[in-house]
Amino acid sequence: MLFAIHYTTEYDYGEPVTDNLNALRVRPATTATQRCDEFHVRTDPESRLGRHADYFGTEVIEFGISRPHSSLTIDVRARVVTSEPAEPPAPAWEALAAPAYQEAAGEFVLASIVEPPNGALDELFAASELASPLEAVEGLCELIPDRFEYNTGITYVGSTVADLLAAGGGVCQDFVHLALILLRRHGIAARYVSGYLFAAPADGGSDSVEVETHAWLEALLPDGGDRGEPVWVGFDPTNRSRAGEQYVKIGHGRLYDDVPPIKGVYRGGPAELSAHVVMTRLDPATSARA
Amino acid sequence: MLSRIAHELFWLGRNVSRAELTARMIDGVFQADLQGRPDDPAGVTLSWDAVLAIMGSTASPPKRRKDAERPSRAETVALLSTDATNANSVVASLERAREGAHTVRDVISAEMWEAINAVHLGLADASIGVTGYGGPYSFVSYVKSRTALFWGVASRTMLRDDAYAFLDAGGRFESADMVLRMLRVALPAPGERPASSPRDGQALALLGAVGGLQAFRRAGAAAPTATAVANFLLYTRTYPDSVAASIDAVRSSLELADANPRASEPVLRLSRVLADLDFRGRVGRNDDGGLLEVCEIVGRELALADGDITERYFGGVMSPTHVS
Amino acid sequence: MSATWSATCFDEVFAADGVPRAYAEPLVAELERLGAESLVAAGALRDAIFMRQGITFDLTSPEGAVADRPFPLDLIPRIIPAAEWRTIKRGLAQRIRALNQFVDDVYHEREIVKAGIVPWKLIASRSHFARAAHGIRPPRGVYTHIAGCDLVRDAHGAWKVLEDNVRTPSGISYMLENRLAMTRLIPSLFAHFRVRPIDQYPALLHAALRSVAPVADGDARIVVWTPGPANSAYFEHTFLARQMGVELVEASDLVVRDDVCYMRTTSGLARVSAIYRRLDDAFIDPLEFRPDSLLGVPGLIRAYRAGTVAIANAIGTGVADDKAIYCYVPAMIRFYLGEEPLLENVTTYLLDDPEQLEVALERIGELVLKPTGESGGKGVVIGPAADERRLVELAETVRRDPTQWIAQEVVQLSTVPTVAADGTLASRHVDLRPFAIFGDEIRIVPGGLTRVALEPGSLIVNSSRGGGSKDTWVLQDSEEPEQEPVAAAAFTPPSLPKLRLRSWTGQAQQQQQQLLPPF
Repeated sequence: MLFAIHYTTEYDYGEPVTDNLNALRVRPATTATQRCDEFHVRTDPESRLGRHADYFGTEVIEFGISRPHSSLTIDVRARVVTSEPAEPPAPAWEALAAPAYQEAAGEFVLASIVEPPNGALDELFAASELASPLEAVEGLCELIPDRFEYNTGITYVGSTVADLLAAGGGVCQDFVHLALILLRRHGIAARYVSGYLFAAPADGGSDSVEVETHAWLEALLPDGGDRGEPVWVGFDPTNRSRAGEQYVKIGHGRLYDDVPPIKGVYRGGPAELSAHVVMTRLDPATSARA
Repeated sequence: MLSRIAHELFWLGRNVSRAELTARMIDGVFQADLQGRPDDPAGVTLSWDAVLAIMGSTASPPKRRKDAERPSRAETVALLSTDATNANSVVASLERAREGAHTVRDVISAEMWEAINAVHLGLADASIGVTGYGGPYSFVSYVKSRTALFWGVASRTMLRDDAYAFLDAGGRFESADMVLRMLRVALPAPGERPASSPRDGQALALLGAVGGLQAFRRAGAAAPTATAVANFLLYTRTYPDSVAASIDAVRSSLELADANPRASEPVLRLSRVLADLDFRGRVGRNDDGGLLEVCEIVGRELALADGDITERYFGGVMSPTHVS
Repeated sequence: MSATWSATCFDEVFAADGVPRAYAEPLVAELERLGAESLVAAGALRDAIFMRQGITFDLTSPEGAVADRPFPLDLIPRIIPAAEWRTIKRGLAQRIRALNQFVDDVYHEREIVKAGIVPWKLIASRSHFARAAHGIRPPRGVYTHIAGCDLVRDAHGAWKVLEDNVRTPSGISYMLENRLAMTRLIPSLFAHFRVRPIDQYPALLHAALRSVAPVADGDARIVVWTPGPANSAYFEHTFLARQMGVELVEASDLVVRDDVCYMRTTSGLARVSAIYRRLDDAFIDPLEFRPDSLLGVPGLIRAYRAGTVAIANAIGTGVADDKAIYCYVPAMIRFYLGEEPLLENVTTYLLDDPEQLEVALERIGELVLKPTGESGGKGVVIGPAADERRLVELAETVRRDPTQWIAQEVVQLSTVPTVAADGTLASRHVDLRPFAIFGDEIRIVPGGLTRVALEPGSLIVNSSRGGGSKDTWVLQDSEEPEQEPVAAAAFTPPSLPKLRLRSWTGQAQQQQQQLLPPF
């Protein structure tokens, strides 16, 4: 699929602020199933943009505005081509112990998210202990939305998984954190993915949809085939699905904090934030390979 | 030098000066108060109210009587001298000075630190107080001697670098500000009978409090009326605590500390005020109404200069950091 | 000190039969001559001087009250003969070089991981592994500008490395102040020894910082960055800044604009080229690390990445002084330098291996358990000194996350005589923290901070937990050519006019003076 993405963020400060430093992680990545053809960022007030790839390989755009200003607008445009990923492999649990898997897993199999205490997750863990790693992942993508309500406004960006359990509901970020904890406990390496999801309208009308940045996960599945190379496969516990070509990945990390779309610090009073992401499908008939 | 350190030194100077001059003002008004005619209650209480208002002490003194009777002399003296909850009291200024001195201990000499640090220990001594037999005399004497020691040691032991310049600028700035405030107590309010004797008594007592009686007499043959004293304390360059002399001292200290004084907003502003004062001193309206007007103009310019100084040397007022 | 202890550890002054070792004879003789009373008096004087000069540190009592105490310097110096120092010096330099290369490797090629020597998972799980440092190479490839590796001597007197400290090792100011104090309190002790001076440390540090600053030498502005007066080592921060003649700054003094770090001065913004920082990575930049840190400078990592400012020690260096990584240092020396380690590690067990974990937990009452990410002795449990309940708790904690713990054999630290409260001598356990500076080369200050456990029989030497310190004397090497003392030129004072005792007495006198030629 071919998408145009337009992501605008606007900060409104009451009194002018200074020394406004920001780091953006908004550029669609280039992967085996995705290619970013165009990418532009503009800021108002204007600023010089710096780019580098962070530790996880995500492209980071940095800028700073030191003079006093009362508002900041960040305008991001991108064009991206996605293709449908291959069918995931379905080897047995034993394959997780293979040295090739352990090496590819690296730190993503280590616990890095604060867990709720006192065995609060034991039941879910047991319920997801299915016949193979693939089934465990798919199972969690059903179990979690079954047990928890998708609801904005209960949790916030700093919420923990314990908050999710207590509230009985949350947003995609919370669902993914929960899934990551459980997958890692199973010994399945998993990483947090930030990106854009083309949530096509049900009636299939317009090709332009207003969305929000979305979070899903990638699980490392051992390849049952002869080559034995593990593959990262995307799954979405919020939408009970695999991550297909409507998913545009920005980058990954161990958890949300490793890959936030926008992070900033400034000197001044509180700000009002409004953000909009519009995804437009440009060429529905074409499904270009990367 | 670091803006933060310069800022602390400037305010160290200001707080020490403020403490000293507030104590002297209390002394002056107290003495004048005592000399108010016994059958003229209005003259006695008006002065304390004026002092409180000019010092910006909005804190109501304790045990304020419900019938809106004016605070007594003793209450006002206590409020301005030993009341630690009043930010403008002598002890509060000295405490701030001590905290500031602690922060810049590496820059000031050990003797300067000890001069300030010992004060709060000294004030704990029961024999130094504002109540009791001698009124505020022992308290005021103690504060005068400690602050004089501080400045004396500073002038002997500190390198004449920009650290000294900011310390001195702060002290002289506050001096100009405080003398202006004192003059507003001494000068008659608009519409009041000019040359009333309680006013003259007050002016003379204030002059005595700042230690300028000798100097006033040597400077000219004028009779010590409120007007004459006010003229003296405003314009006389040769008297170090006059407003003009203090402003000149601030300006020259800042010139020393500034890498580019010709482009310095505070230096330029202070130069203009000084030129204005010199001009008025020679040819201006130097009766009571004119003098009051001058005091107000200069007071406003000083407040603006304060802002200029903060902007230029201390990086302006810094807002807190916000995470977005 | 009971007889059993002295039988199982090495005393540095007295040999087994109670006779002083050869190099220590003059020391023991002088101490005996001074006697208990003089030592007590000297101790009181020392406390008074330290309190007056503010050479103190914060001691938190068990009830949580924090008090300013004079730094506890014991009056008996700890002497290290020249030959022993040579071994230590070479071993430390080797170790620091290997650690520095390890840090560079971790954030770039990861060769040591590819060679299968250190597992990547271990490195990535270290609490001080800094992902923000990935791909950044600081000037000259130096990360461990200041290092303090703690050394101990085992029961045979052999020197071993107990742990590495390459984040923000502290104690250097106490080392310098101790030496100064000793020269004032008991100068007679110095008469019998040629002690190598240490006061060049601040100059060495300054030179090292200048050598890594990314601007022309003369223009490099260097600062010491402190979290502020509330920090327990604040005295050291002000001390070093003063000794090096550089500014001591706090976070509010610094600002980053266009990827360059500046400090706010009365003449506007002044560029900063090198920062000797005394706060952990986690606090230095709210944009990259902890967003709640008010102690940080937003954008500092950007300037660092852009190469416009040097930071000592470099970001991410903490990965090398993690206690689990410590176990691999001998392997690092072989891998990076192709040499055999000159100094050995204390026998240590990693607990991520389930078998090692079980053995360690079985022997928990005999071993020392240390959390891998801490420093300053925090969280350390000495098995033989802990009660049953504590050990059970500890075992549970360790089981929950064994990769964050190591177990070490207990070393019966060597002992040195210490002055007890009544002026008599008592043996106490000591360790040694030498200080190394890595600028254009590695230099190690002779001696370092000797830390002494003040409680009889105790092995805890950290000052934050009630330990004290000793001045450390490295003796001049008789093999090295003796430095000729510069002969003081004979000094004859000029003749000055006599002081006038009286004021002028009259007109006539004044007239007379006016006729004299001008001076």
